[in-house]
Amino acid sequence: MQKFLRKNAPAYVFLTPWLVGFFLLSIFPILASLYLSFTQYDVVRPPQWVGLENYQYMFEFDYRFWKSLQVTFTFVVVSVPAKLIFALAVAMLLDKGIRAVGWYRALFYLPSILGGSIAVAILWRQLFDYNGVINSVLRFFGGDGPYWLSDPRYSLWTLIVLAVWQFGSPMLIFLAGLRAIPQDLYEAAEIDAAGPVRKFFAITVPLLAPVIFFNLVLQMIEAFKSFSGAFIISGGSGAPLDSLLFFTVYLFNEAFSYFRMGYASALGWVLLVIIAAFTAIAFWTSKYWVHYENERG
Amino acid sequence: MSRFNRRRFLYTAAGAAGSAAVLSALGRPAFAQNRRIRHFWWGNPDRDARTFRVIEIFNEAHPDIEVVGETLGFADYFTRLTTQIAGGNMADVIQMGYGVMFEYIQRGAILPLDEYSGGILDLSQFDESALQAGTVDGKLYALSIGANSHMAMYNTRLYEEAGITPGNGFDPYGWTYDDVKRIGVAVREATGVAGTDDNTADYQNFSDFVGQKGAELYTADGAYGVTQEIVEEYWSIWKDIRDAGATPPGPATAGLVGAEMSQWGIVTGQSATSYAWSNQLVGAQGLMQDALGAAMYPNTAEMIPGSVVQPSQFVCLSRDTVDAEAAVTYMNGFVNDPEMTEALGLERGIPSNAQVREALAPTLEGAAAVSVEFFNNIQGKTMPLPPPPPSGANEVEQTFERIAVGVLLDQVNISDAATDFLRQAEAILRRAG
Repeated sequence: MQKFLRKNAPAYVFLTPWLVGFFLLSIFPILASLYLSFTQYDVVRPPQWVGLENYQYMFEFDYRFWKSLQVTFTFVVVSVPAKLIFALAVAMLLDKGIRAVGWYRALFYLPSILGGSIAVAILWRQLFDYNGVINSVLRFFGGDGPYWLSDPRYSLWTLIVLAVWQFGSPMLIFLAGLRAIPQDLYEAAEIDAAGPVRKFFAITVPLLAPVIFFNLVLQMIEAFKSFSGAFIISGGSGAPLDSLLFFTVYLFNEAFSYFRMGYASALGWVLLVIIAAFTAIAFWTSKYWVHYENERG
Repeated sequence: MSRFNRRRFLYTAAGAAGSAAVLSALGRPAFAQNRRIRHFWWGNPDRDARTFRVIEIFNEAHPDIEVVGETLGFADYFTRLTTQIAGGNMADVIQMGYGVMFEYIQRGAILPLDEYSGGILDLSQFDESALQAGTVDGKLYALSIGANSHMAMYNTRLYEEAGITPGNGFDPYGWTYDDVKRIGVAVREATGVAGTDDNTADYQNFSDFVGQKGAELYTADGAYGVTQEIVEEYWSIWKDIRDAGATPPGPATAGLVGAEMSQWGIVTGQSATSYAWSNQLVGAQGLMQDALGAAMYPNTAEMIPGSVVQPSQFVCLSRDTVDAEAAVTYMNGFVNDPEMTEALGLERGIPSNAQVREALAPTLEGAAAVSVEFFNNIQGKTMPLPPPPPSGANEVEQTFERIAVGVLLDQVNISDAATDFLRQAEAILRRAG
C-alpha cells in the first residue's frame, strides 16, 4: 500500500480536479436519476417512492412514449447509414490527392462543429420555411415546395438531412483509415485487372471495417441522443403531430413542461438501456464482419 | 490498418467523454449577497425596456437595495424557472400568469404576502377583484400587474381597403363567426392577404367558445366540463372559415401553433386579424407600421359572454428569495410607485391600482389609448372569472393544440379528433389529480 501511494500519489493529486468533476457531475447525477426513476417528483415537493409505477405506466398506457420511440428509431435507422455512406464517399474523393486538401478537410468538418448548435437549427428552420430558401429555389425552377416543417410527412426528413450534413467527423476518421491502407494492395489488384468496384469491395471495405464499425457505433449513439435540432425546429413540443417527438424531446417535455422529473428519469434509463442494447448487438455482429489486422491467425 | 484495434477504440471514445466532462465542470460560480435581489420576467423588447427602466428608478431611490433584472421569451421562461426551482435558485421576484400560477402555488414554490400587507406592502388602493384573483385558500400569493381580456387585433389599413370599418358591416364588440368568415373573405379578395388567423389550434379562442356555449372548462370537482358536441362544433366553425378562403392554408397555420409575437400572422403580414391578450396590443403595435384596431373575440349569434377579464400577469415572491423584505419593497413599488408605474404604462395590462389608473389616463396615446377604449367597451360583455384551473390544465391545453394540428392538416376527421381529445384530457386530469 505504502509503495503504491508513493508511486502513484502525484498522479492522483493531478487527477483530483477531474475526479471531483466526474463524481459530482456524472456519477452522482446518474445515481440520483436512477433513484428518481422510482419516485414521483415534481421539483418542489420531496420525491415520493412509487416503485415500478413509472415504468409500468410507460409500457402500458403511454402512447406518446411509443410514438417517440418510433420517431427516434426511424431517425437512427435512416440517418446513420446515410451519413456514413456520404462521409465515406467524400473521404474517398479527398483521398484521391486533390490540391489544397487541408482546406477541403476543414471546410467539410465545419458542419460537424456547428451542426449541433442552436444557431444552425434556427437557420434550418429558415431554410425549410414555406417561404424559405429551399422553396424559393424550387419556385425559381418552376416547381413548388411543400410545407416542409409543418407537414408531418416531411418534417422528420429535414432533420435527417441536417444530420447527414454533419458528416465531417466520421469523414475525417474514414480519411485517416483510408490513408492507412497499403497502396501496394491496390497496385497488386490493378495488375490482376480489378476494376474500381472490385477494389472497393475486396480491399477498401474489409480493411476499413474497424473504422466503419467505430463510426457506426459512435454515430448510432449520437443519433439516439439527438435533441437540439428537433427541439428548436418543433418549437420544443415535437410538433407537428408528434412527428418530431424524439425520445429526448419527449423526456424534456415530461420533465420541464409537466414537472414529472421521476417519470423523465425513468425515460432516461430506458434510453440508456436501448442504447446499451444496440451497442451490444453491434459489437456482437462485429465478430462476423470486422477483422483487426493484428489478431489474424 | 494495424493501428486501429479494440484498445484504440476505447481510448478514442474515452478521450472524447473526458473532454466533455471537463467542459461541463466549468459551471457558474454561486454567490449570495445581501440586499441584492433578482427579478425574472418573460417579455418582449418593449416590455424589457420598460422593466429595466423601472429597475433603474427603484435602484436610484433605494441605494441599499440592488435589483437585477433577468428576462426571456415566454416559451423559454417556464423551462428556466423549473430548472431554477429544482436547483433552489429562483429569482426573488418572479412573474406569473393566471392559470399556470396555481400549479406553482399548489407546489409551494411561491410564498404568501399577507404578513407584509399594511407594512411595507400597501394594498389600500388595490381593486378587490385583483386581490381575489391572487388569493388561494384565503392567502394572498400574487399581485396583479394588469387586467387583461381576450382581444382580436385587426389591421385597420387592410380592413379599410376591403371597405370594412366599425359600424359599417362590422361591430367590434358583437361580431359573430359568420362575420369573421364574411369579412375575412372580403379582405382576402380586396388585398390578397388572408382576412383572419385560423384559430383551430388556439386554446384561448376555444375556451371563449366553451363559455359562449354556456359550459365551463372545469366542473367544480375538477373534471373536464366540455362535451363532444362543443369540440366538434368549434372545429367545424373554423373549418368552414378556412374552407371559404378567409385564413392562411392549414399547413401554414400548423407551423405557427404557440408562436411568439414576432411570428403572429398580423405582425408578419400573413393575415389581417390575430387573436391574443389585450395587453399584447401595445407590444404588437410596436412591431408594425399599420395601425391596429381592437375587437372582442367573435361570438355565436346567441351572444352569451365567453371572455373573462383577468389579471394578465402577477409579481410573486419566490420560495428561494434571499431577502424577502427587499423583494417585497420592490414589488410594492412595482404596483404603487407613481414614477415606476408610469414607466410601465399599460404594457402588462390595465393597472389594478385605482390611483395609478387615474394618473396614467391623460398620458395615453396610440395603442395604449385603444386598449383603454377597448376596456371601457367590453364592460358588461364578459363573464365572471371561473375558479382557478386544476393541476394538469396546462397539459390539457397543449394536448388540444397537438390534436388540433391534425384537424388543420385534414389528417383526422373532426369527430374522431374530438373523441380523442376528450379521452386524453380526462386521462391527464386523472393522472394529475
